[in-house]
Amino acid sequence: MMEAKIMGSQAFSYIDIDLEPGETVIAESDAMSSMDADLDLTATFNGGFFKGLLKKFFGGETLFISRYSNNTSAPKRVTLVQPVPGEIRCYELNGDEFNLQPGAYLASTDGVKLGLRWAGFVSFIAREGLFKLTVTGEGKVWYGAYGALLEKEIDGEYIVDTSHLVAYEPGIKLKLQLAGGIFSSFFGGEGLVTRVEGKGKIIVQSRSVSGLAGWLNPKFR
Amino acid sequence: MNQTYNITLTGELIGEIERSDAIAVFAKLFKLPLDKAHDFFHKAPLVVKKSVDGDTANKIQQILEKSGLHCEINPVEVVETEQSTQVGVMSESAVDAQDEQSGQEREEMLDSESEMTTEPEQPSASFKGLKFEMAGQPDYGFVTVHVPAGEMLKVEASAMATMDTNMQMKTKMRGGLGRMVTGENIFVNEFTAANMEGEVGIAPGAPGDLCHQYLDNETIYLQNSAFVACSSGIEVESKWQGLVKGFFSGESLFLIRAQGKGDLWFNSYGAIIEIDVNDDYVVDTGNIVGFTDGLEYQITKVGGYKSFFFSGEGLVCRFSGKGKVWIQTRSSAAFVGWAHWFRPVKSKG
Repeated sequence: MMEAKIMGSQAFSYIDIDLEPGETVIAESDAMSSMDADLDLTATFNGGFFKGLLKKFFGGETLFISRYSNNTSAPKRVTLVQPVPGEIRCYELNGDEFNLQPGAYLASTDGVKLGLRWAGFVSFIAREGLFKLTVTGEGKVWYGAYGALLEKEIDGEYIVDTSHLVAYEPGIKLKLQLAGGIFSSFFGGEGLVTRVEGKGKIIVQSRSVSGLAGWLNPKFR
Repeated sequence: MNQTYNITLTGELIGEIERSDAIAVFAKLFKLPLDKAHDFFHKAPLVVKKSVDGDTANKIQQILEKSGLHCEINPVEVVETEQSTQVGVMSESAVDAQDEQSGQEREEMLDSESEMTTEPEQPSASFKGLKFEMAGQPDYGFVTVHVPAGEMLKVEASAMATMDTNMQMKTKMRGGLGRMVTGENIFVNEFTAANMEGEVGIAPGAPGDLCHQYLDNETIYLQNSAFVACSSGIEVESKWQGLVKGFFSGESLFLIRAQGKGDLWFNSYGAIIEIDVNDDYVVDTGNIVGFTDGLEYQITKVGGYKSFFFSGEGLVCRFSGKGKVWIQTRSSAAFVGWAHWFRPVKSKG
């Protein structure tokens, strides 16, 4: 069985994966930073040309995905990174499913299927995309986002600012609402928030790109 | 004089909490190093908070008991002259006597004057502020604050990341004109726990650390973008720092003054280092996060004119007096200078 370790600090995580002979790992096309020269790399459409296009435009993923296969007789290593500065985590699937926000998917083992699901206009207005990425099957999936990742167990209702939600278990439903009254929501900078309902785990990122932009933009002249 | 109460930690644990965990919680609540907390805990029962009013006592008890630390509230008699001689003496027999009584009625405990004397010598061992948890430090600090029912928390606009459904948000103007001039957000959000205790998760914009300070009628000055959140007892306002200081301090013309009694959270770009200033200390203007009241500061050049132009240091801030300075390990101006060359060129107009 392959050995995978998440290395680095929360700010700049990366994954070292040691592939045993005959094993394959799938990753986004720009995720590989270094690998043993003997590994075979094949680029394929992300689930076919049209599905790939859909995933690219609506799922925030790349059109091509890379398959790293070890066809030698010794263990080989591939190192994967994510484009944003932030933490990477692993989720283990045992025939169940897991929902990822667009852009969060990084890599997975061979038995994991990537699917795109309609998330609804509500999700679109919340700037979370029209579709959500659902991973199913058996194996490991690695995902990441900008900032540190925090796990939170939900039982009932909870509110998460849009653009802070990274992933959630299938028992969770999303709804959209205003953060406060009309005035507060408009001027308070919170705007719309996501109301998560149900039972299960959610993953929240401790920084958002809009927060970074808000901090940085006034400083550029 | 109002009736006041002492809070005594009995050293017993509630629920299935491990002893080592309880000590860790105790250390965190009272901001003690772990080994000291360990010592204190072994001396239990001991008074952890003296002479507070009934409401506060109940609040503290709730917080302690929630973390699995059993404690008792004991009324304090109006101080008599006799007792003053005993203060500060931790007599073994007194502790023992108290131990035996712990199961008995509260009224009886009134008689044992020794109770007030069993107090840890460290002044830091007193309860401070709201309950909160930090995560993601130092790279992407994130704080979850537990707000008791009816309490209010002021949070920088757009910094809220998560919250309970029973938190209510209201937007208020703050700082007035000063904030408008500096391009900072002039709004601040107030989160109130409506019916029951709630929590708010706060994520500041800049990548970096978070720091918490409990102000006990003290004043802290913060660099303009460092404010994150504070409890309702803290007044926050923008303060003009004067033309020379303002223009050259690298950040902006205004500082934020936070004063009062309660919790204050502030953030930085990069990690935060706390420095005790006893005499003079020099900080690059771009690395200041905040400093305590009572420190004088001046903008000076660091050396002669040659180093002014060629050392890359330029102007620095020289603090003098006694107090604390918080610095950040990166400066946003340096980041902007580095990142600027990678930005796509946009034609203006």
